[in-house]
Amino acid sequence: MAKEKKRKQPASDAAPPQGDEGEGRRERKGKKAKKDKADAILPSQIKNKDKRSELHSKIKREKKAEKRKLARERSQAIRRAEELGEQPPERQVPRTIENTREPDETVCRPDDQELFAGNDADEFNDVLKQHMIPKVLITTCRFNSGRGPAFIEELMQVIPNSHYVKRGTYELKKIVEYAKNRDFTSLIVVHTNRREPDALLIIGLPDGPTAHFKLSKLVLRKDIKNHGNPTSHKPELVLNNFTTRLGHRVGRMIQSLFPQDPNFRGRRVVTFHNQRDYIFFRHHRYIFETKESKVASKDKKAKTSESKSQPEKQVICRLQECGPRFTLKLLTLQHGTFDTKSGEYEWVHKPDMDTSRRRFFL
Amino acid sequence: MPRTTVLESPGCPPLRTLTTDILGLVKVVEARTNPAGAAKVVETWGEPDASRAIVAASLAGRAADPVLAVARKNGVVELLNPLNGDAVAAVKTVGSASDDGGAEGDPLVALHLFTRQASDSMLGTFIACTDKGKASIRSIMKENAASGSDAGPSTTWDVCSGGNVQFCSVDHGESYAMFGGKGTEVNLWDIASCSKTWSAKSPRANSLGIFTRPWFTAGTFLCKDDHRKIVACTNNHQVRLYDTSLQRRPAISVDFREAPIKAVAADPNGHDVYIGTGTGDLASFDMRTGKLQGCYIGKCSGSIRSIVRHPELPLIASCGLDSYLRIWDTNTRQLLSAVFLKQHLTTVVIDSHFSVEGYYLFSTVVTAP
Repeated sequence: MAKEKKRKQPASDAAPPQGDEGEGRRERKGKKAKKDKADAILPSQIKNKDKRSELHSKIKREKKAEKRKLARERSQAIRRAEELGEQPPERQVPRTIENTREPDETVCRPDDQELFAGNDADEFNDVLKQHMIPKVLITTCRFNSGRGPAFIEELMQVIPNSHYVKRGTYELKKIVEYAKNRDFTSLIVVHTNRREPDALLIIGLPDGPTAHFKLSKLVLRKDIKNHGNPTSHKPELVLNNFTTRLGHRVGRMIQSLFPQDPNFRGRRVVTFHNQRDYIFFRHHRYIFETKESKVASKDKKAKTSESKSQPEKQVICRLQECGPRFTLKLLTLQHGTFDTKSGEYEWVHKPDMDTSRRRFFL
Repeated sequence: MPRTTVLESPGCPPLRTLTTDILGLVKVVEARTNPAGAAKVVETWGEPDASRAIVAASLAGRAADPVLAVARKNGVVELLNPLNGDAVAAVKTVGSASDDGGAEGDPLVALHLFTRQASDSMLGTFIACTDKGKASIRSIMKENAASGSDAGPSTTWDVCSGGNVQFCSVDHGESYAMFGGKGTEVNLWDIASCSKTWSAKSPRANSLGIFTRPWFTAGTFLCKDDHRKIVACTNNHQVRLYDTSLQRRPAISVDFREAPIKAVAADPNGHDVYIGTGTGDLASFDMRTGKLQGCYIGKCSGSIRSIVRHPELPLIASCGLDSYLRIWDTNTRQLLSAVFLKQHLTTVVIDSHFSVEGYYLFSTVVTAP
């Protein structure tokens, strides 16, 4: 009940022309004493199932009608404001977990000089300033089967200048040494468990940090409907929502896997989108097409003509997904290269940090 | 998982701490409100420059003439005035002065500035140790502080033959120094004569016949008035108590979790130590029995590089790779205040002569020649 009230209030705020209407509605409700009585009894208090479900469906219907009515009122208010040439009432923004995030002091600010100085000093600076060309070594855990090899094949198409090396029975520390000697800039280890890739380890070389991600929701290319096949152009990179210092660092680490000079002609884009500490990976091809819009011509017939003098050709961007789709979640970020025994961690997820669902680290 | 909890930190009593970081900045954090308030950054000294990253720092917290010494990555030890951040002197240390590869081959790892002063003309005496085990004691006179090249008497000696040194600790009376590191057993040196007086022996191989090579990461003297009790922490998560008058093997050895221990600090009461690990766990141990007293819980997510105990108040300050300076109450083990300092921090020191009014009660103006 309390929730319902809460939702009502912003609605009445949002429609200033009918500011009194909200009050009126409540009065009208007050008149219907019967209804009020029914409101007082919650469905959960009724023991008879028939009666309970009846009441429940009734309440639900009323709520729905109320909602529809409010929406209509809002749209009417907008239309009226448009006709009168006024400023339309402000759009309501839904409250989500994301935009009610707990304030975090570690969020990067664009005016922070120390941040830029820190960036210049960090391990990825050489690659990101294009002093070095990124060269990535991809390997697996010791037992690699199932979807692992297929995933690696697709990953190698996503990341340019990547090389696959069989894991064999070498220790990871030996492989790090091997990669350092051959001037690789990053090392990716795909870990599979029960024939399913379930973890990703990204190691910056020669002394960069080691990030351990949980990998989930993997969909390979052939399982994506209407997928496209990527070209061998260097992709563009989109990194979304890496806001805190930790997120910034992880973002830079991911950025350092890719060459910094994309071939825009390739029209190929790789996205890492962070939302609530989960990093979503997508790989697309895009195309800009000029199209004659049929909707516009219909309108022309119907009524107004002056708005239709705009160019009939419309530029549309179309996307086609290609390549794997997966989700990453950061588990640890280790200072230095892979070392489980004597490693120092820059960030470890601990259960006592989960004090709220509105607290995010990236 | 709880939906939401508001974690109010109660704030800490008036306090002044200085932290150093990998960009070569020194930041001053003060809590000014009496009896308790949030700590804030009040000053930042230095220009961000990664080649001048500070690896170690030490404060001679005298009432008069306090001096802060910082060891930089490029092999320079700088003496700063901890009141206003002016550089008083800068010296190139041994490792880089000689032409054997410079600072890159043999960086400084540890630094201790002596609290006692031999004479008034002396600005400060410090002991610095490099990675390869070259320890040196140098004194800086006030006259030639500015020139920096010729900086008073100095002595140099080799602490270890092979292996690396990772820490150096000086006892309260400042007549003994202790070194240890990767492949180097803990060894105790008499500073006056520069001679080794004691060195530890590895514990026996365990029941499976497995012998672990020594790898010490942190150490401290346990009591103020007794240089014979040493607490040393190892990379394979052990806290060891050595009694140098008794035997060469550890008297007590306790395991703590599974991450290497990176920092240790002793309590003035003479039996407690505070340890910090590579995954950000902070705990206190009673070294009379080797019992864990408790852990400090408070969202600490990065490796702890440095812990320091306030000489009078029941407080410790810890800092590390998660860029937070945290101040804890040692009695309740509660987090009093946390300050975000933006960089990976290396050392924290507490200036114990700070009072709320912002004046040093007995201080005289430090003259920078």
